[in-house]
Amino acid sequence: MLRMKGICKSFFGVEVLHNVDFSVDKGEIMGLCGENGAGKSTLMKILSGVHTLDAGEVVFKDNIIRRNATPLEMQHVGISMIHQELNLLNELSVAQNIFLCREPRGATGLINFNRMHEEAAGILEKLGEKIDPKRKVRDLKIAQKQMVEIAKAISFNVELLVMDEPTSALTGRETKILFDLISNLSAQGIAVVFISHRLKEIIDVGHKVTVLRDGYFVATKNVSDVTAHELATLMVGREVTESKASDYAGDPEAVALEVRNVSDVLLKGVDFKVRRGEILGFSGLIGAGRTELMEVVFGIRKPQSGSVLVEGKPVTIRSAIDAIKADLGFVTEDRKETGLVLCRDIVDNANYVSWQKSPGFFKGKKSSEEKTKRIIERLAIRCSSPAQNVSNLSGGNQQKVALSKWLLSGAKVLVLDEPTRGVDVGARQEIYQIIKELAAEGVAIVIVSSDLPEILSICERVIVMHEGRITGTLNASELSEAKVMYYATDV
Amino acid sequence: MLAVEKRSESGALELLKRIWRDYSVLLVFGAIIVICGIAAPRFINPDNLLNILRNTSTVGAIALGMTFVIIAGGIDLSSGPVLATAGAVLILLQRMVNPDGTPVVPLAVAILACLAVATAFGFVNGIIISKAKLPPFIVTLAVGIIARSLVMYFMRGATVMGNNIPQFTGIGNGSVFNVPIPFIVVIVIAIVFHIILTRTKFGTYVFAVGGNENAALYSGIKVDRIRIATYMLVGLCTGVAATIEMSRMAAVAAATSGSQYEFEAITAVIVGGTSLTGGKGRLIGSIVGFIILGIVNNMMIMLNISPYLSGAVKGAVILFAVLMQRRER
Repeated sequence: MLRMKGICKSFFGVEVLHNVDFSVDKGEIMGLCGENGAGKSTLMKILSGVHTLDAGEVVFKDNIIRRNATPLEMQHVGISMIHQELNLLNELSVAQNIFLCREPRGATGLINFNRMHEEAAGILEKLGEKIDPKRKVRDLKIAQKQMVEIAKAISFNVELLVMDEPTSALTGRETKILFDLISNLSAQGIAVVFISHRLKEIIDVGHKVTVLRDGYFVATKNVSDVTAHELATLMVGREVTESKASDYAGDPEAVALEVRNVSDVLLKGVDFKVRRGEILGFSGLIGAGRTELMEVVFGIRKPQSGSVLVEGKPVTIRSAIDAIKADLGFVTEDRKETGLVLCRDIVDNANYVSWQKSPGFFKGKKSSEEKTKRIIERLAIRCSSPAQNVSNLSGGNQQKVALSKWLLSGAKVLVLDEPTRGVDVGARQEIYQIIKELAAEGVAIVIVSSDLPEILSICERVIVMHEGRITGTLNASELSEAKVMYYATDV
Repeated sequence: MLAVEKRSESGALELLKRIWRDYSVLLVFGAIIVICGIAAPRFINPDNLLNILRNTSTVGAIALGMTFVIIAGGIDLSSGPVLATAGAVLILLQRMVNPDGTPVVPLAVAILACLAVATAFGFVNGIIISKAKLPPFIVTLAVGIIARSLVMYFMRGATVMGNNIPQFTGIGNGSVFNVPIPFIVVIVIAIVFHIILTRTKFGTYVFAVGGNENAALYSGIKVDRIRIATYMLVGLCTGVAATIEMSRMAAVAAATSGSQYEFEAITAVIVGGTSLTGGKGRLIGSIVGFIILGIVNNMMIMLNISPYLSGAVKGAVILFAVLMQRRER
């Protein structure tokens, strides 16, 4: 149904797609994978009309697509793309978002809201989703927002739907609902292209998978013929070794951080301990209260009750600076929102915390720069210079900068919330390596992650939460996805 | 061979681009001076140039503080009325004389009171903005309206003359080695502020707060304190501007003193390349910015253009400057 042939694309003189071929049949679910920068999104943006191709041709249902077709034209042809960052208007209703710029009008030319709501409800019903079309998008959960995006795409009589990392912000259960929906669409004859970093997902839901590497087409395979491991090898171009963590082997009495009886509207009497050099994971569904718990520990969120002990001594933490002075560190889940000042350079971002900790009025330009250079080397941050703006770095390198401010400040307990979200496979392994090195140096590590394979591969102990409570604790030796899901859903 | 040549060419282009990015304000500034000199040869006259510097110093002082506020993601629309209020305090204290002709309040104390009043207004702005979490635009607008109204009320809308003594008028009208004292004051403040902005932790945090308030908060930066401090800085600068303005006139006009100065200062900051969205900016740009505004005013007179058109020209300057900055991005 779709055939893209010999696609080339350059940005600012750098060719990012080299002669790429890509085709999808009617009703086919095609996984698309590759490291960050492999050209997946660029290829799909060409398909959906966001970018214009330099060379090659796109044939859809035996028609050659005009070279510089707009996204709207492509939607009318039957190709829609759901971008990684959802493009919904928060202040408008679900129905208004679905029918944006195509609102059904009455005889007077004014919008016929009744008809719009009915039609929107009809489309949502087809998806098996019960969202009130009059609700504002602002009030929806991420998974529901995604449903609205899909509903919008379907309202165009879509025949090919492209989804760029649709599961990166979803919980396991929501992901399952999405996959059921994708299979459903496929059964109706709608082809789905599905970009994901989670190879297992592609294998679970897809029919075929295409791998890109550095802008080159590598292979298209039937998913029944490949394993996740083989896919990862194709993406990286070298062997990837899957590791599994072993149990914590240090002194069980060397407790670095103890949290007692934290309660608020969401959290219900949570206690936990993490020991020096231990890598502790927090698993659970989104909404289980893991991030909120960490925000309480770090003084961002005010609890109704609860106490924190660092190295056995009680500390009062009312704000982030109190936590920082107690040698706690917190790499937040959304680096763009709460982790980095994107418009500033690496030196500033890496030193914000250590400047807080050191006395004095002046920041010490030379020594800050020296420290930054060393951390850039240690974490292998790929940048043109320490004075480069963080906004120009790739996701993995941004994450390393977000991490570096806590390393430079000498945090003894480091909380990492979704440490590899939006980070490609290569950089992901590097971040795991850094985490392991820190633990080996005696830093207590707490990892909050919705990515189960990630938890399984690096955590020595895992605490599972469900609706504000701890429902289970598992050592690495007794860990399995099934057990974690058992506790996470609290069945 | 070809590839190597190509690279060196693009290298030179890169260099030019970088020069333009870092020094575009200064290059435009140089061009403006040359063009003005050709259009009106009298413009180049040293007396005229020094006069421009003297005239722009009041707005210039405010622009220096305003740079901090805008980098931190805020804005201050109360500067003009605050200048009038602080100026009124200075004049009212300064004009009180004993029967033997000596001042009741020493001049230095009167000036300190003026600076303190202006800084206090900054503190009020900052505390409302950060604690009540209200938009700075609204808060400073309201505080400005209140300040203007109070000064009108207490002075019954009149112009009040100060004690016209050389110790006082010399501040605004005097020169050292031909350089106007107000300009020297502004440059000294500018140097200190530049060091604060680029070399101190506080300066870095100002950028961080304007760039991403949440990330600053999660890094332990006391966002509220930083923000309040920036408003106090612009307040202090407004106090300095008030002192200069009052000593030049030896009088304060309840209705018109400092009128529109906040907009002139904001214009100077924007023309100087500081981003209104916060997180980006340079002090040197603001200095060039207020001098450009001074040159515009001066050229209007030189070329015998109606003063009513000065707003049209300044508006065009703002649009042009912002347009240039957009294109750079």
